[in-house]
Amino acid sequence: MSNVITICGSLRKASFNRMLANALPGLAPAGMTIKASPTIEMPLYSADLQAEGFPPAATALGDAIRAADGVIIVTPEYNYSVPGALKNAIDWVSRMKDQPFANKPVCLQSATQGPLGGARMQYHARTIMVFLDAFVFNKPEIFVGMAQNKFDEKTGELKDEATRTIIKQQLEGFEKFIERHKHHKA
Amino acid sequence: MANSLKIVTICGSLRKKSYNASLARLLPQLAPSDMTISAAPGYESFPHFNQDLPVPADVMVLADAVRAADGVIIVSPEYGWTIPGALKNALDWISKTKDQPFKDKPIALQSASVGPLGASRMQYHMRQTLASIDALVFVKPEVQIAFAKDKFDPETVALTDQASIDLIRQQLEAFGKFVRRVQV
Repeated sequence: MSNVITICGSLRKASFNRMLANALPGLAPAGMTIKASPTIEMPLYSADLQAEGFPPAATALGDAIRAADGVIIVTPEYNYSVPGALKNAIDWVSRMKDQPFANKPVCLQSATQGPLGGARMQYHARTIMVFLDAFVFNKPEIFVGMAQNKFDEKTGELKDEATRTIIKQQLEGFEKFIERHKHHKA
Repeated sequence: MANSLKIVTICGSLRKKSYNASLARLLPQLAPSDMTISAAPGYESFPHFNQDLPVPADVMVLADAVRAADGVIIVSPEYGWTIPGALKNALDWISKTKDQPFKDKPIALQSASVGPLGASRMQYHMRQTLASIDALVFVKPEVQIAFAKDKFDPETVALTDQASIDLIRQQLEAFGKFVRRVQV
């Protein structure tokens, strides 16, 4: 039994990554519930601002991560790396006491219209997760390339069967990874 | 003497007493005689990148400044072993403007950190991002100022370490040559 949140790195309405995040509850194994995190939109990080206190949106996101058994980051790749808006949210959360990502099981997914499916972004995200001391799930990796052919752009539904199957496998693996981690903590 | 090169700096930190902002402010004094260096317009007012939004006017101001410059020096801290989100957000916006200003633009990187690595992990991620926007990134010498606490004055935040100052002069001189070599 695990409660998992998705953090989506795209802010646009018709985002393929948001469609992907929205597909996850329907692909999750029994016992895993998946919900969207609070927003990643928060002021641009500055240590001077932090001295005045964390913005409410940062606190809400940090609390949601702390309360979850696992986090799935579902994000596009911008300029071969992590979107600035998502990185900004991570910059805030990483400064918190009782840092929310520490020892947190984290899983990565991405969709792009190109052939690589956001792989370059994911390997940068893995570097960041080392800094955050997160516990990052390895394989299978989810890189949804050529996303425009795999989602129904009107309904937002993930219709590609091979992609649905590998996501189910990842979520099953992630569920076991979370359970194993719980035993370690106990 | 050829025309003076016009270089702008973009700083990745928004805090007032930032080592990196101090470093960027120092560069005009260390520039070779054929180079003028000034700060590019800021990006603090940029919204979070969202493809649904029109390109904000402030983004165009920074994009135009990059386009008008002969080269850009990005001076940035490392946050979470990579590029600060605020700076990456600015690059994400600029990369979407028409006549994308970083294309074929000579870029040099500088960074300072309080740890031992001088924000080098940020620089190598930045090189990957700059490849995506087709910039021409200067190679060596690299300026990665480690243990910044020992090298900047604690009160004024001015860089006091002579070895770092010498290295920056070398980089700026070599960057000037690089800019002239790649200019069409």
